[in-house]
Amino acid sequence: MKKRVDILTRVEGEGKIIINEKDGKIESVVLNIFEPPRFIEGILVGRKYDVIPDITARICGICPVAYQMSGVQAIESAFGIDVSREVEKLRKLYYYGEWIQSHSIHVFFLHLPDFYGKSSIFEIAKERAEILKDALRIKSVGGKIVEIIGGRVVHPVSVKAGGFTRYPEKEELKSLIPLIEESIELAKKYTEEFSKLNFPEDNIIGNLQFVSLYGDDEYAILNGRIVSDRGLDIDKDEFKEVFKEFQVGSSTAKKCRIYGKNVYIVGAMSRFNNNYEKLSDEALRLSKKINLSPPVKNSFKSILVRMVEIVHSMEKAIEIIKTYEKPEVETEFKTKRSEGTGVSEAPRGVLWHKYSFDEYGIILSADIVPPTSQNQDIMEINTYNFIKFMTEKEKILTFAERVVRNYDPCISCATHLISLD
Amino acid sequence: MINIGVFKFASCDGCQLSFFEIVEEILKIGDINISFFLEAQSKNRFDEFDISFVEGSISTPEDIELIKKIREKSKKVVTIGACATSGGIQSIRNYLNYKEILEYVYPSPEYINSLEKSHPSSDFIEVDYELRGCPINKKHLLEVINSFLLNKTPNLPRYPVCLECKIKGNPCVLVLGKPCLGSITVAGCGSICPSYNRGCYGCFGPIEKPNIEHLQEIFKEKGFKGDMFEDILTSFNAYNRTYREQYEKES
Repeated sequence: MKKRVDILTRVEGEGKIIINEKDGKIESVVLNIFEPPRFIEGILVGRKYDVIPDITARICGICPVAYQMSGVQAIESAFGIDVSREVEKLRKLYYYGEWIQSHSIHVFFLHLPDFYGKSSIFEIAKERAEILKDALRIKSVGGKIVEIIGGRVVHPVSVKAGGFTRYPEKEELKSLIPLIEESIELAKKYTEEFSKLNFPEDNIIGNLQFVSLYGDDEYAILNGRIVSDRGLDIDKDEFKEVFKEFQVGSSTAKKCRIYGKNVYIVGAMSRFNNNYEKLSDEALRLSKKINLSPPVKNSFKSILVRMVEIVHSMEKAIEIIKTYEKPEVETEFKTKRSEGTGVSEAPRGVLWHKYSFDEYGIILSADIVPPTSQNQDIMEINTYNFIKFMTEKEKILTFAERVVRNYDPCISCATHLISLD
Repeated sequence: MINIGVFKFASCDGCQLSFFEIVEEILKIGDINISFFLEAQSKNRFDEFDISFVEGSISTPEDIELIKKIREKSKKVVTIGACATSGGIQSIRNYLNYKEILEYVYPSPEYINSLEKSHPSSDFIEVDYELRGCPINKKHLLEVINSFLLNKTPNLPRYPVCLECKIKGNPCVLVLGKPCLGSITVAGCGSICPSYNRGCYGCFGPIEKPNIEHLQEIFKEKGFKGDMFEDILTSFNAYNRTYREQYEKES
């Protein structure tokens, strides 16, 4: 048995791919997450419910808003807090900001260099300086939205049960519209350009299910039912009954499958495949123009799906800003002995939280399932299928890393759940 | 040519992201070569560094080896953010029962390779400059890079958040009845929390010689319940030297 170990680069957090070979044949691929654990759930227990948005945000510096949104929804479910329509709209805007910010980091800084055969966006910029400049501009749209609503881009501070600690003035938000409009055009231009990149053949095969949230009236982001393309349709409270973790053979890593057996995938591709017809007008037109339609099964094309979601988020953001009215009423509520779940679409997919509280709102238990831990299984399967017939060492390592990167894994997120080898 | 390395230990990646924010400014400085930065590039060289930036807390035996190696190879070592500077949010566990937490979070704790405590870099090596914040302020990062290039000391605030509130004209949230650590927390964020109608929760860590006892009394007088003061104090910079000394003195 021979082991090839490759340290992953251009991903969030630190991990490595282990490729096991026997008699010159690739036998298995293991994605090893070697970040030290941070024990976030253990730290939460014994503290008051209101620390959830602040502390869980720290699991991930690239998607703190997602943690805040799933977390606050769990608190609100537990204490029976109704959130006003205006607050819900502002939360969506806040979340679109994060999708734009997180997706542009992945698309331009982490993913794009693969298609150019370069080490980094800085290397690409040596030949095409405008790409870096435009990437920063597109990213800044998301950053500015999050900053106005939350105070800062990384670990924003304003989320609380029932709403926000501060509501922006209409004018503050409206001032962003020209920048967003300009950036939509820019994002569309790059999407069309990227659609002509060279995409290796890759069909995610087998009994795979695309899992995402689903809402009747829109491309789900903040809440919704948990569905799959094969008819799964459950409430957030049923998550753990369906998505079962199990230990695999000699490995210590835990995997998550539907009823412990069906492989599934969460993230941009699943959202796109399940919610396609609910994309914003511009995003839908753009997808048609570049011939991107569900089911997208080539993981390399996730870069296009993320670009389409950037355009979608920007268009929805403008829509919300135009009809935004500053909420006036504070939501009153009382803590009680209870439990609650929350689920939303983090940039990387379904992010689920569950907490139980005592009558004073002290956290008794905490359970968080991030998207990357759910995708670990399919990332390994997809990588194995892609490289199994390859023989050149250099090529094997390059493509193993590329396939994993297609999933935009966030290892900082996943670490706190998966046991380490 | 200035060689820069960016390294990560236990953290959320949020401070490293600041490099993406200031990349245009860095490129303008010119003559900078980022030779090691796993998150940004696939070709990396661990060689000699003029400045190494370290994110994340030291949490495994391997981390201790690596941080020492980074020190050996670097002219300057700068910690970026609360994790590398003060142990971070994960250092809350330093004051709790490690075994209990480990078993709570991981079903097979025997596979977890972790130190009992989450440490700042300075527990193992000499650090040339510590950047505060959870996350850091990107302007501070640029100030440190520029200062080292010019061979001067970075000019960053040492005064408390209160001063930033005064400059902004914020009404005092503590007076308005919200628990706020602004008077003992070092400025640099731009007093974001008080500007967003909530008390400062100390994510930039304490000023030099903070008057902790006095603020604790004010919290009591205001009728803030339970362990609120301790809870806020032992959060994002839990293993900061100041709090740590106080804690060790008390227990």
